[in-house]
Amino acid sequence: MINTARQIPRAGWCSTASWGVLTIAYLLLYGVTLVSADDTGFDLAQTINQTPEGGVLNVPAGVYYGPIVLDRPIMLIGQPGAVLDGRGDGDVVQINAPDVTLRGFIIRNTGDILDRENSGIVVTAPRATIEDNRLEDVLFGVYLKSSPGSHVRRNHITSKDLDLPRRGDCIRLWASDNSVIEDNTITDGRDLVMWYSNNLIVRRNTVTRCRYGIHFMYAGQATVEDNRLTDNSVGMFLMYTKDLILRRNVMARNRGPSGFGLGIKDVDGADIRDNLMIDNRVGIHIDNSPSNVDLTHRFQGNILAYNDIGLGMLPNVTRNEFVGNGFIDNVQQVAVFGGGKFEGNSFTVEGRGNYWGDYRGFDMDGDGLGDVEHRVASVFENLMDRQPKLRLFLFSPAQQAIESAAKAFPVVQPKIRAIDTAPLMNPPRPPSIANAPPRSSAMATAGGLMLLAGVSVLFVGWRG
Amino acid sequence: MTQAAGATPPERKATQMKSEPREAWISPATVSVLIRKELRDAVHNRWFVSYTAGFTVMALGVSYMAQVGTGYSGFAGFGPTAASMINLVLLLVPLMALTLGSSSLALERDRGMLAYVLAQPVNRVEVILAKFLGLAIALLGALAAGFGAAALLIARQADAQQVGLFLRLVGFSAMLAISMLAVGMMIATFIRSSGAATGAALLAWLTFLLLGDLGLMGSAVMFRIQTPQLFLTAIINPTECFRLSVIGGFDATLDVLGPAGLYASNTFGPRLPVLLAVILVTWTLVPLMLAVFRFSRKPL
Repeated sequence: MINTARQIPRAGWCSTASWGVLTIAYLLLYGVTLVSADDTGFDLAQTINQTPEGGVLNVPAGVYYGPIVLDRPIMLIGQPGAVLDGRGDGDVVQINAPDVTLRGFIIRNTGDILDRENSGIVVTAPRATIEDNRLEDVLFGVYLKSSPGSHVRRNHITSKDLDLPRRGDCIRLWASDNSVIEDNTITDGRDLVMWYSNNLIVRRNTVTRCRYGIHFMYAGQATVEDNRLTDNSVGMFLMYTKDLILRRNVMARNRGPSGFGLGIKDVDGADIRDNLMIDNRVGIHIDNSPSNVDLTHRFQGNILAYNDIGLGMLPNVTRNEFVGNGFIDNVQQVAVFGGGKFEGNSFTVEGRGNYWGDYRGFDMDGDGLGDVEHRVASVFENLMDRQPKLRLFLFSPAQQAIESAAKAFPVVQPKIRAIDTAPLMNPPRPPSIANAPPRSSAMATAGGLMLLAGVSVLFVGWRG
Repeated sequence: MTQAAGATPPERKATQMKSEPREAWISPATVSVLIRKELRDAVHNRWFVSYTAGFTVMALGVSYMAQVGTGYSGFAGFGPTAASMINLVLLLVPLMALTLGSSSLALERDRGMLAYVLAQPVNRVEVILAKFLGLAIALLGALAAGFGAAALLIARQADAQQVGLFLRLVGFSAMLAISMLAVGMMIATFIRSSGAATGAALLAWLTFLLLGDLGLMGSAVMFRIQTPQLFLTAIINPTECFRLSVIGGFDATLDVLGPAGLYASNTFGPRLPVLLAVILVTWTLVPLMLAVFRFSRKPL
């Protein structure tokens, strides 16, 4: 019909064009806006069936109602304004053939039955390419269900306006090895989750106001880099997973009940460097990782700043090395949940330690390393460990009085949690630092007005 | 004070000599004249000037340090500044307000100024209210100058969201200052001697700031006070109200404060700042009423 640019012989072009003109005239005559596929006379299901394998099908603007089933390997390209609508029931697009490309559509309005996993796009065949789509009001977004070798890129995905537990995953991989998930923007959904999938690349995605920004379950050999995970319940949670590389990710303001920037549970083999964990409840949370006694995990060049707890571990977690990280202004820099020490983990590796915002030593020889070891120890933190309700008094003068009393009269020695024998004098600068929030002149205005008001009150008072 | 002084009929003057209230109603004109006098006196008070200068310098210093420590990452503008401002405000503002309030009557009484003012056709309620309002305006002016200068210093780093946090800090500081001023005035009306009044003010400062919290911490551990009771006892203290409301500004869930914070946000939710503000206002009105009552009754 209009512009079905499959591999049409040249002679057919004229008739296609005239059909297009006729259709436009038809529309103008009836004054109908492009509301429904039936109005355009374009039968999507039938056209898909007529498209040869490996063919390209351009879909003109208009609303097409699902479920749309792609059971032959074709490339389906939505022209601007092409909308696939599920009418609030079931899936919108089902891809059941390998090597399908779906590009440029607005996909919306799935059902909302969680145990049927109603999805915007569900793929059950290998090597799908899902790109440049906008998925709105979908329960699940892109669901790769046994779809190895797929690419999901540059999609915008928003779930339904439901309570968090009733939403579906914006992107879910199930047994889909060798897939690439990149440059997607995901807001107000549940998870971006990888189940039982190996050899993945997950990069440059932005996940905001979801449950788990990025979630690995029983997945492995993945490279996860340059993602921005902000304002979720949990930034990134890795569970029962092997051999991961995590680089240059930003995890900020993840403050749910768990509220981890990065949570690691039963992971074996992880290289975690140059990430930023900012203003989370817990910057990095480690539980039983590495679980394999022959492995050591290294955390290098990460910034943990302004979290309630910078680095938190469960007791008995060992074989983690921290070097060149910056622990900056976390309310509690490092904590062992339930009390205890960081035994079996090291904060100094090959003569280099980490940067500690609260380090009070000095560097006489100017080699960038503090000459006095840094001890992580605080009386009030010991107190909080034993009596969590005393956290209520954080930032109070009473807390500071206790801390200074303990320093002035070292009768009560706080427990030393960790020692860094070569603390760095300067914090690292991971390449992921950029994108500061937009500046506003409101603060200058507020400050200027207040200063003016204050000074004039005082001046008027002075003059009488 | 008012022009009406000379024109007062002799019989009314005679009743005033017995120092009985002239009339129950408060005249706004009289109060405004008295307020101007109080404001003038406050601004010329050496203590007030040094407090103001000290507060401004320290506010600038704290903001600058917070800025230097955090600015490099471009991630935090006002958050850490606010956290460090909490302690500055908690230390200085109640001290300033309590000592100014408590010394407001004794100094004037010693100089004979109070007798002179009361000899005018003004009633005592007007005098004490004007004193409170004049000092309050002076205090707010000092706070505005200090906070305003600090805000200008960090303006380059702040985004729009942080302005809200800043205004919240300023607003609750103002409420804290005024409530502490009321407590100071109450002390002044109950304790005659200037030295004793200042001593009492310092004791009150220490109690609000340290002894109350330390006592509560100790009791919480010794008597196993439950979290709700601990929280509800803590917010009786006006300085705690200030601290919790500012922390609530940069962490609305209060989960940084552990179980007690969780209890607070679960129980009160978004109404918590309102509750804290109501407590601060109560800490203003009740001491002020006691001060007015006491001042209008007691012999000079």
